[in-house]
Amino acid sequence: MADAIVVQGLTKTYKGALGDRVTAVDDLSLQVVQGEIFGFIGPNGAGKTTTIKVLLGLLFPTKGSIEVLGAPAGDNETKKHISYLPESPYFYEHMTGYEVLDFYCKLFRLNKVARKRKIGELLETVGLAKDGRRTLRQYSKGMLQRIGIAQSLINDPKLLIFDEPTSGLDPIAHKDIQDLILRLKAQGKTVFLSSHQLSDVEMVCDRVAIIDRGRLVKMGTMEELLHIGRTVITFSGAGQPAIDAVKSLAAECQPEGNLLRVYVDAEEGITRVLEAAQGKAHLVSVVPQRQTLEDLFVQIVRGARK
Amino acid sequence: MIIWSIAKTTVGDAMRRKVVQIFLVIAMGLILISLSFSQTLAFSAREGSSVDLQLVKSFGLGLMALAGWLISLVMGVSLIPQEIERRTIYTILSKPVKRYEFIVGKFLGAILTLAICVALMGIVFIGVVAVKAYAAQPAHTAISGMAAQGLDTAGTAPERIQIIDANMLIGVLMVFMQFCVLTCIVMLFSVIFTPTVNFFLGLGVYIVGLMSSTSLTLLRSEHASIFVRDFYWVLYRAFPPFDQFNVTNALLYPDAAVGNIWVYTGWMMLKGLAFSLGALVLAVLLFWRKEV
Repeated sequence: MADAIVVQGLTKTYKGALGDRVTAVDDLSLQVVQGEIFGFIGPNGAGKTTTIKVLLGLLFPTKGSIEVLGAPAGDNETKKHISYLPESPYFYEHMTGYEVLDFYCKLFRLNKVARKRKIGELLETVGLAKDGRRTLRQYSKGMLQRIGIAQSLINDPKLLIFDEPTSGLDPIAHKDIQDLILRLKAQGKTVFLSSHQLSDVEMVCDRVAIIDRGRLVKMGTMEELLHIGRTVITFSGAGQPAIDAVKSLAAECQPEGNLLRVYVDAEEGITRVLEAAQGKAHLVSVVPQRQTLEDLFVQIVRGARK
Repeated sequence: MIIWSIAKTTVGDAMRRKVVQIFLVIAMGLILISLSFSQTLAFSAREGSSVDLQLVKSFGLGLMALAGWLISLVMGVSLIPQEIERRTIYTILSKPVKRYEFIVGKFLGAILTLAICVALMGIVFIGVVAVKAYAAQPAHTAISGMAAQGLDTAGTAPERIQIIDANMLIGVLMVFMQFCVLTCIVMLFSVIFTPTVNFFLGLGVYIVGLMSSTSLTLLRSEHASIFVRDFYWVLYRAFPPFDQFNVTNALLYPDAAVGNIWVYTGWMMLKGLAFSLGALVLAVLLFWRKEV
């Protein structure tokens, strides 16, 4: 499948307050395949927003090359197929939701009939059909975010770039956006998702890139990045004979009331523990514990800083 | 379509700014208050009405110029920086909008906002002048009668008083063009500088522009050194001649007029247009590679 985004050796430096050069992005290379949801994560100041701005042509690279949908970043023709949702988007507050969408529709040169139809559809999609005639001043943060999402869907984009789309949202709005991203994936759209909500990223993304201090630290699929850790085997009615039987086979053994939790590191250890406990205790569950993206992120970023 | 959409949105945004609304309302209120001048200022019974009318015209044009100056400066310095600060520019420029379309739209929106403000003040002003002229007619008729009978009229000109004075329209137009130029210049600066720096730069350019006649005198002076003359030549050529847009004296006292006022106005409109377009072209060029 073709690449939606190709970044090769991107470096972006700024002039600092004292005239020195500050490197925001340092020799970053990545590819985003069409149709995938790509997570782009990193701590604050890691260079995520700078990278996104370069992708959109709002900033110009100091070094390196960027291709978006096969064209150089910022290409006006390509922008017809891209959409962007900035973090905490701000729109002209004096306008109604309808007027804001009308304004953005005009930027895509849609005629009056097409605009009217599109705005109706979009307001319906983001759940603001009844609030379209209210001014944005009267909107909550979640409603503003929904308008932001609506404006990002005007052109039925091939590539969507979301910067912190769930920041500051209540759980319902949060869930709606998660669902929307999954719907977009089902429609074959490419989503470039920058977020601090690592559980969201883990849940919806196919691949993830972690950057820190402008450098790419890790990139891969969830399966490649998150290894299976220990497996927890839980027994009930386990007396001392059961504990004695599994203790030497387990990495850790924790009696908790009527339950016994046995932690096993290797896969072959599971069978051995189950055999040893047979007849001495009742098996309740066997749960493999996968490392979370948050665990990996903290481990990588902390490790890099040591 | 894109430029016009951006311009319309800019007008809506600018007209809702409290600071613009306050300047506008105060200026219109003060122009209205000038209706009461004859009651508060003591003139001789014979010349009161005509002097009163002149005073209202002079006061109104001066007030419009002051309000226009404040509005153009305050509005112009922040329109583009605020788009970046509020991040509205990101969602606009990430759409298929060319950078020049954004800048031209913002300029057009700012000029339209200024036009609306000046038009509103102008309507109130022309109305106040019309009321005053109407009120001055009986006294004027009496003086004209006295003059016809060969009686002493104490030098009061027995010319006909027009209810709608076309010269005042010229005054309003010149106020608009003067601040259209200033708006374009501060908008140009706003592509590069922060609003505070821009405010003082705009103020500086305006002050230097107000001294264009002085610069002209100095550059023509035979006693000045070549360096001084060159310096004033640059000032005279590079800065818009804001003082030349002030035609209050020429409008109120026809003797002081510089030739034909309509020709002069046309010439100044062209000059204003040239400076505004120059500022716009420079802004487009500077914004071409500006990082936002």
